[in-house]
Amino acid sequence: MTVDVDSEAYWPADADDVDEAVVANWFVREGGRVDAGDTLCEIQIEKVSVDVDAPESGTLAERVVPESGEFRRGDVLGRIESA
Amino acid sequence: MSERATDPGTGDADRELTMSRAMVDAVAAEMRADDEVFYVGEDVQDYGGIFDSTEGLLDEFDRDRVMDVPISETAYVGAAVGAAQAGMRPIAEIMFADFVGVCLDQVYNQMAKNTYMSGGAVNVPMVLTTAVGGEYNDAAQHSQTLYGLFSHLPGMKVVVPSTAYDAKGLMHAAVRDDDPVVYMFHKRLMGIGWMPAPEGPKTPVPDEEYAIPLGEADVKREGEDVTVVTLGLHVHRAMQAAEQLADGGVDTEVIDLRSLVPFDTETVLESVEKTGKLVVVDEDYQSFGVTGEVVARVAERAPDSLEAVERVALPDVPIPFSRPLEKEVNPQVDDIVAAVESVE
Repeated sequence: MTVDVDSEAYWPADADDVDEAVVANWFVREGGRVDAGDTLCEIQIEKVSVDVDAPESGTLAERVVPESGEFRRGDVLGRIESA
Repeated sequence: MSERATDPGTGDADRELTMSRAMVDAVAAEMRADDEVFYVGEDVQDYGGIFDSTEGLLDEFDRDRVMDVPISETAYVGAAVGAAQAGMRPIAEIMFADFVGVCLDQVYNQMAKNTYMSGGAVNVPMVLTTAVGGEYNDAAQHSQTLYGLFSHLPGMKVVVPSTAYDAKGLMHAAVRDDDPVVYMFHKRLMGIGWMPAPEGPKTPVPDEEYAIPLGEADVKREGEDVTVVTLGLHVHRAMQAAEQLADGGVDTEVIDLRSLVPFDTETVLESVEKTGKLVVVDEDYQSFGVTGEVVARVAERAPDSLEAVERVALPDVPIPFSRPLEKEVNPQVDDIVAAVESVE
């Protein structure tokens, strides 16, 4: 089953007035294994960094937003193929 | 204070870390293992270090072990020296290496010499961390690397990691060392969102602890034609240059020094004895610095092997604020390619 990593779920409450962000770092390669709760990537909303934890265990099937890539609130950051 | 400072994940090879996270991983492990280890500096507490060098430590440790201090480097570096002499293992951070001037007495007369001056009655097992490097328009007082300044003064060990893997291993070794170690981390390698890193510093980092012995250079790329010796950010530029040169049929060996004191003369010599040609690349000033030292070590020991030599470093000028001018003085990939081609 494929699970979307939804940026909405990680949006900080004090950034409600902001709608775009950037992926600062990915910590797992495409095809890499992750456990639920592992830090998948780091997003930056204005100057605030937020760690994105894997919502499911499995394999990172796709980095939908690349490193340094911009995205909007609610965009899918990546997809996990759950085990 | 129950949450761990870093999330090491499963620790398998699929996990990659930025250099800053790898540093924190090692610092947190050392603090967990030994109550005498603590971190002190400016903006290292709630801010997590302006280059993320302590990001997350406060999630796990109390404020008396991750200490913010007033802006007096003399006072807190001096306090760290005293704590070290009394048996603790402090890690003190000078926010920018450029600021060492205001506390130079504490660094080179006290930290570096107290073991010797006391006849071995005390030693100074501390780590002095500091951020180095430029090319983000921070001008002449916030952009220097100063590798040569720290390495010139006897009594301190000096390390310069270029990857996350090395950052963790060198930090473990630095904290465990019974002598003062200066740990110089390059801002552009840390993986900070607002200062993108080049390809290369983010590497797989094992969850378990490991120490990289101080004084061991790393041959990043084997080659037959020309030896490039470098460190820090310029390891990645040299690797890029080597890829370009390979397309033109030039086989470049790239050595990452990793540690300036102690210095791995053997690895450099072995390489130059093979290639005969030496290019030294450094982000520090050219005169009286790393490039001259590397060339001298080779010239003293293997003059017959040395057919050609070239230095690529910052010219002896203050680092410009202007973007194009700063880029002009800081060695770029093209400058390394040109230097290798000139000796080849």
